[in-house]
Amino acid sequence: MNNKKLGLVFFPAFDWAITPSHPEREERLLYTRDQIVEEGLLDLPAIREYRPKLATIQDAQRVHIGVPDIASLITDAHLVSAGGAITAAEAVMRREVTNAFALVRPPGHHAMRVVHGTRGFCTINIEAIMVEYLRRHYGLNKIAIVDTDVHHGDGTQDIFYHDPDTLFISFHQDGRTLYPGTGAVAELGSPSALCSTVNIPLPPGTTDAGLHYVLDNLVLPVLEDFRPDIIINSAGQDNHYSDPLANMAITAQGYARLAEKLNADIAVLEGGYSIEEALPYVNTGIILAMAGLDYSRVVEPDIARCPRQSEDNTRYIAQLVGKWQEIWGERETLRREAIAQAGDFWQRRRSIYYDDSGIQERQSETVRICPHCLGYQTVSTQAEGHSFGVKSAFAAIIPRNSCNACRTQAQDALYKAKKENSHDHYFLQDKEMDVLQQI
Amino acid sequence: MLLGIDVGGTFTDAVVIKDGQVWASAKTPTTHGQLLRGIIMVIDKVLAGINQADVRRVALSTTIVTNALIEGEIDKVALLLLPGPGLNLEGLTPGEPHFLSGYTDHRGREKALPVKDEVSTVCRKIGGSKAAAVVGKFAVRNPAQERQVADWVQECLRPDHITVGAELSGSLNYLRRINSAYYNAAVWRIFTDFAAAIENAVAERGITAPVHILKADGGTLPLGAAQERPVEAIFTGPAASVLGIMALTNLTEPVISLDIGGTSTDIALWQNGVPLLATGGAVVNGYPTAVRSFWLSSVGIGGDSYVRRQGDKLLVGPMRRGPAMACGGPEPTVTDALRVAGMIEYGDQELARKAMLLVAAEGQTPDEAAGETLRAATHTVCKAVADMLSEQAARPVYKVEDIVHGTVFKPELVIGVGGAAKGLVPMVAQELSLPWQVPDGHMVANAIGAASSRPTTEITLRADSAEGYYTVPELGIKRPVDKQRFSLADAWAAAETHLAERAVAGGINETAPVSERIYEEEFNVIRGFTTIGKIMTCKLQLKPGVLVPVQAGRFGDE
Repeated sequence: MNNKKLGLVFFPAFDWAITPSHPEREERLLYTRDQIVEEGLLDLPAIREYRPKLATIQDAQRVHIGVPDIASLITDAHLVSAGGAITAAEAVMRREVTNAFALVRPPGHHAMRVVHGTRGFCTINIEAIMVEYLRRHYGLNKIAIVDTDVHHGDGTQDIFYHDPDTLFISFHQDGRTLYPGTGAVAELGSPSALCSTVNIPLPPGTTDAGLHYVLDNLVLPVLEDFRPDIIINSAGQDNHYSDPLANMAITAQGYARLAEKLNADIAVLEGGYSIEEALPYVNTGIILAMAGLDYSRVVEPDIARCPRQSEDNTRYIAQLVGKWQEIWGERETLRREAIAQAGDFWQRRRSIYYDDSGIQERQSETVRICPHCLGYQTVSTQAEGHSFGVKSAFAAIIPRNSCNACRTQAQDALYKAKKENSHDHYFLQDKEMDVLQQI
Repeated sequence: MLLGIDVGGTFTDAVVIKDGQVWASAKTPTTHGQLLRGIIMVIDKVLAGINQADVRRVALSTTIVTNALIEGEIDKVALLLLPGPGLNLEGLTPGEPHFLSGYTDHRGREKALPVKDEVSTVCRKIGGSKAAAVVGKFAVRNPAQERQVADWVQECLRPDHITVGAELSGSLNYLRRINSAYYNAAVWRIFTDFAAAIENAVAERGITAPVHILKADGGTLPLGAAQERPVEAIFTGPAASVLGIMALTNLTEPVISLDIGGTSTDIALWQNGVPLLATGGAVVNGYPTAVRSFWLSSVGIGGDSYVRRQGDKLLVGPMRRGPAMACGGPEPTVTDALRVAGMIEYGDQELARKAMLLVAAEGQTPDEAAGETLRAATHTVCKAVADMLSEQAARPVYKVEDIVHGTVFKPELVIGVGGAAKGLVPMVAQELSLPWQVPDGHMVANAIGAASSRPTTEITLRADSAEGYYTVPELGIKRPVDKQRFSLADAWAAAETHLAERAVAGGINETAPVSERIYEEEFNVIRGFTTIGKIMTCKLQLKPGVLVPVQAGRFGDE
């Protein structure tokens, strides 16, 4: 007996493209639309379709600090896509459906906290915007995001890197072989949030067998330990064997079984650029699995093309999972040690490349290691690009449930920087008061 | 002269329209079980004193298909499917599906071939079926496999009729096409017999004019063409009334229309002078189909709705216990309330007051009880209207432009027809704070609608210049196109030609048929960084509507 009801926000943005021949173009979900409509999925009683609402600039600024402002960096399509994720989440929160899938574009998981432009086809992070919306409007706290896109979800990782209440798990093709290059096991989160970032870089050629080994032996047990209020799936579909931008070997069946096992409350589409051979079948499989319907007949016509997993890969994956099981087992010790080692402030410097906008950003970040709250943060950023010029900004971030000391110190740090006048823009992102102020 | 007949649940109505005026009208009781007898009776009655030779067209809105479905008088259908990969259809279709090999993908490319042995095995197993339906996934993108299997079925099973899915609907939605095709095949025989009988009866009366059948989308089809797609002749009663409203008024603003009958009110929303269509198609026997139909919401409020008091609650409808007490019925009804409130003039005032006294709360006068009854009835109708409006606002759209700048449906007028319209429509309009209108002739709007409805047909042309062909599934056409040059303008030009062909083939030879573009889609197909072609979809129809605007004339006050 099927007791599931899936909310589906389908928004293919048929009038939006990054550029006419970009992978993120009007055509991307055309064949997926064809398949979904032809299958008659929208007429099934176990599926209810929703029209996306428009997210607001405030929804975006709950997550992002846009330089000079987020409104000038995005298009309406971004607000529809973020709004689609929110619509899906609200359908679940209002219990109109048991779970929901925002099958929307443009994607978002490469968009980081500070935004200068578009990178990895993403400008604003639609899952992160949805997560913070749920925290603000529905009082949720512990949230798990499982990123199943082939590319490391570096934007989502960045946004929640200092947040122990958001567990970010990403499996992806190893960054040494694919954009954006990050997502190594060693990226575990800043000290107070250590091991709330779980990166599982898989070797090229990983198949359904390898993926489900990782799922059964690592992802699902970690989720069980974390006990989230809600599970979100960043449902990229470019691990498919036919994807032109990556080198993995997952099938529609592999993805559908993943959706079934993960049992996410909300799934949000990310990448996936095999628009004819993969997306129609993978999406049909995920929709059926999430709606609790039989997906066993969703098989790609060219399935014979899908390679088998090498023995080397099987061994490598088993070792990787073993290594992670060890880390996860010792996570509390590791966190204590990292906090002790960091002292009062934890710092990092990074270079961030915006491939779609041709911008190079240099960023330095500090996090106060605070015994009472998540600790305030500051970010100093400078971005350069050919026609873009040079833009810099300094931001202080007051986290939710912050202590008085962190509130005061964050403001002091911002005014001090402003006085030094070393940046073009100054921002205070106050998550407690839900405002982003330009100072 | 145009003769229109609407077979309703209780009465069969007929009108004759001459020069845009209702020239004659007649009403007879519907003869259930022998539909034909009642239809002949009403024709004889309405044509009394009229020269049959002056009748230019006979249009019939009939319950033959609806009744056959309700009473289960349908044929067993051999249902053969080419589902390919995807949803498991087990248990989702009427009848017992037989799954075959063969698959055409979303671009219309054949990915697996159908196997003749499978077809002959299935045919042996189900031998004896007189009707069959063959439906292939994505056959609207390439009808070849569907047609191939239909040929094999013809050879092996020799049924009287085979429905081929893509010919019924050129739109995507395999599940709906399966259900459409199944029911089309299932009612084919009963409809064909009925059509033959009607044709005889009409000829015997010296009428040489063509007979048209009304469809659920408010268009008509000549009897011959209708026999290939009888499932479309379902739910024609509400469609007839809607067409009647179109004939009697000239609406361009957004409108809510109410067709208030004996037991129910059918609500439709209108934009640009036409009612909105149901997304995907009509629901038949609980199965979603691809049958084009008006989007109607039906609530159980009508003139004969049973009124009673349960505890301290006054309940209205949805059931009927007979006519109004004012008209000699057994139980209080909405009509009794309308009579007491002075909103209608027929029926016995004293009996109506007695009825209202029966449902009055303690200390309530009959007038107060009538007021409460009408408020309750009005409220139920208004709630259904509100539900439709929010459903309309929530209809998914797939373009950014439509989300950001999409228009909201905001009704400006309530228009009503049917028996209890004069009483209830003003009250509904008041609750919605809108002006209202009940056109003269509203009592026979259904028959007027049938008489004046235009013939319609539509086609879907999908061109894929990267693959180098276009298809028109309704006509089973797949033709090559110039990969470099074929443009959207070419696609529309081809669509016009094929629509005209289809109209002529279906026996539609109006003097100046007007085609209307109802859908357009165009995508660039890009591989690597090169545009290798375009995918274009054009939907074109003969514009539905009325042949002539109609004035109720001397029959308006009936």
